[in-house]
Amino acid sequence: MIGRDGLAGLVVLATSLVLFWLTLGLERNPLVPIGPGFYPRIVLGVTAVLGFALVLADVLARRVARPAAAAAAGPARNYRLVVLAFGVFGGYVLLLPGLGFRIATFLFVAAANLLLEPPKRPSHWLRALALGAATALVAYYVFEQYLAVLLPRGHWTDF
Amino acid sequence: MYDLLWHSIVGLMHYKYLVPLVLGTVAGVVGGALPGVTITMTVIIVLPFTFGLDPLQGLAAMTGVYVGGSAGGLVTATLLGIPGTPSSIATTFDGNPMAKKGQPGRAVWLGVWASFFGGLLGGLFLIAATGPLAKIALEFGPWEFFSLFIFALSMVAGLMEASLIKGFISGAIGLIVTILGNDPMLGAPRLTLGIDFLEGGIPFLPVLIGVFAFAQIMSDVEKMGRAGGPTSALERAVNLSASHLKIIWEILSRPFLLLWSSLVGLLIGVLPAIGGSAANMIAYDQAKKFSRHPERFGTGTPEGIIASESANNANVGGSLVTIMAFGIPGDAVTAVMLGALTIHGIQSGPLFISQHPRIAYGIFAAYLLAHPIMVILMGLGARAMLRVVSIPKAALFPVVLVLCTVGAYALSNTMSNVYVLLVFGVLGYGMVKTGFPLAPLIIGVVLGDQIEVNLIQALMTDSNPWLFITRPISGGLLAAAVLSVVFALWQHRRHRLRVAAQGTAEQDVDF
Repeated sequence: MIGRDGLAGLVVLATSLVLFWLTLGLERNPLVPIGPGFYPRIVLGVTAVLGFALVLADVLARRVARPAAAAAAGPARNYRLVVLAFGVFGGYVLLLPGLGFRIATFLFVAAANLLLEPPKRPSHWLRALALGAATALVAYYVFEQYLAVLLPRGHWTDF
Repeated sequence: MYDLLWHSIVGLMHYKYLVPLVLGTVAGVVGGALPGVTITMTVIIVLPFTFGLDPLQGLAAMTGVYVGGSAGGLVTATLLGIPGTPSSIATTFDGNPMAKKGQPGRAVWLGVWASFFGGLLGGLFLIAATGPLAKIALEFGPWEFFSLFIFALSMVAGLMEASLIKGFISGAIGLIVTILGNDPMLGAPRLTLGIDFLEGGIPFLPVLIGVFAFAQIMSDVEKMGRAGGPTSALERAVNLSASHLKIIWEILSRPFLLLWSSLVGLLIGVLPAIGGSAANMIAYDQAKKFSRHPERFGTGTPEGIIASESANNANVGGSLVTIMAFGIPGDAVTAVMLGALTIHGIQSGPLFISQHPRIAYGIFAAYLLAHPIMVILMGLGARAMLRVVSIPKAALFPVVLVLCTVGAYALSNTMSNVYVLLVFGVLGYGMVKTGFPLAPLIIGVVLGDQIEVNLIQALMTDSNPWLFITRPISGGLLAAAVLSVVFALWQHRRHRLRVAAQGTAEQDVDF
């Protein structure tokens, strides 16, 4: 069995080896003595060694680990909420080109607010919708009208 | 030099620059006061607002954030015992006991004025040292620059107490980000994985925004709904009046403490990516060691507040020196500033001060002016800042994420940067959860291209690799890099022994 560090080390090792393998196919310019793969191979080679070292360190550490220390537990964490928050933000990123900044931002801010603070009264729904509308409109006004920063227009809504 | 500085100060008093500077300082003070919102996060939030401004306006706003943020954390640290930012952790040790003893005004204003004087001492160093250091850097060839960047990277990666290997892997991931896309020497495509967008490489600002914003926000989201907020115990009727002359005398009558703490902050600021969080702790520790009454530390002694706050504001000056003279970001905040410069087509580094004197001296002027502005803001709004901590995170976080999205999108008006933001947001959070530090990743991303360019240039000028060691400055920097790794190994061993002695271990999960 390997631990979290060992698994992370394996991911690093595998990724760097795959990328290293891809650098072998890079063509060299005959006029230039150092090809485009020279530096990436150094970086990826060192990363692979570090990834392997992390796996090794994890395996060695787990052999000498004390059961009492391993049993130490931290405070409870709400990982489900983190996954959902990432999901809501991912949805925002996906919908942004289609719906445009104002509509997508309104929906995202309202949904994220309701997710992070579940509504207990009808007024909470109103508060979330108001926050979404205010964020979308103020951000649009400040960036587009005042700072001349263009924001995404929706392909579907043209808004 | 001083003529130019004076003209810059006068120029910055024009409302066109003064308004962004004041607003930036307000944002910094408020962001600094909000527990869970760091200065890095605040500067990331402010970044998109600077896109439509001219470079000096934008950099004035960011300098204001940096200075304001370094001081903003002290209000909640002293009055509530909750440091608004990691830069004010040590301020809680004596600030909060002093406030509890019935002297909240004295505690807050000792911190504010110590920040002011420490910051001004940092400013003097910034103005005096940047030019000469940049001149030294102008003598550097590609060998020296390569070694300097390797030294910076090794220092940052090595400073991670918990795991040295993870620090180095984090830096290496940053370097890997920079090898995706066309090679910087000839533009030959490499490792694009068939994605057109990658041909131009991955811009570092969406990476930086993604890793820092998500790592911080999602780490707070984890804890939501699990514990009561700290705001229930707020004492809003607190009286913050104090005699300013007495407070200023209290600070200036301890010149050694002020100078030494500011020097500690400066030196830590000059070293890449250590930042104000270490500066205030180390300065506090030094002040305690040098004190004739170390037993008074932790009970509400003014020395503790002065040491912590003067160090964290002087630290800002040190960080700005590194970026302006060498083009190496001293921390994540200056990395964002570096990005802001790049957006406006300005290359930071040894030539910066000679090629863009108006902007360089404008930054000096903004830094100097931000301090009195910060003092005025504290006078006007210290009590209101206690209310700031009661802003619900459920309302704050979505708005911050929208601003991060705008910041990423507006870099080139494409959704690709927003996708980069999301991908690196997931990566950043994953790295934090698996115990990988983020600072080396950012330094790797910022310096990666420069490391490659200087390495290739050096080898194409002379293929003898020993020159990296035999050229005195280059060899010295590489030796310093090796020493920093050796020091890190010693520190890591000490940390492990301490953890073993305390009978605690890093949390790990079986798969």
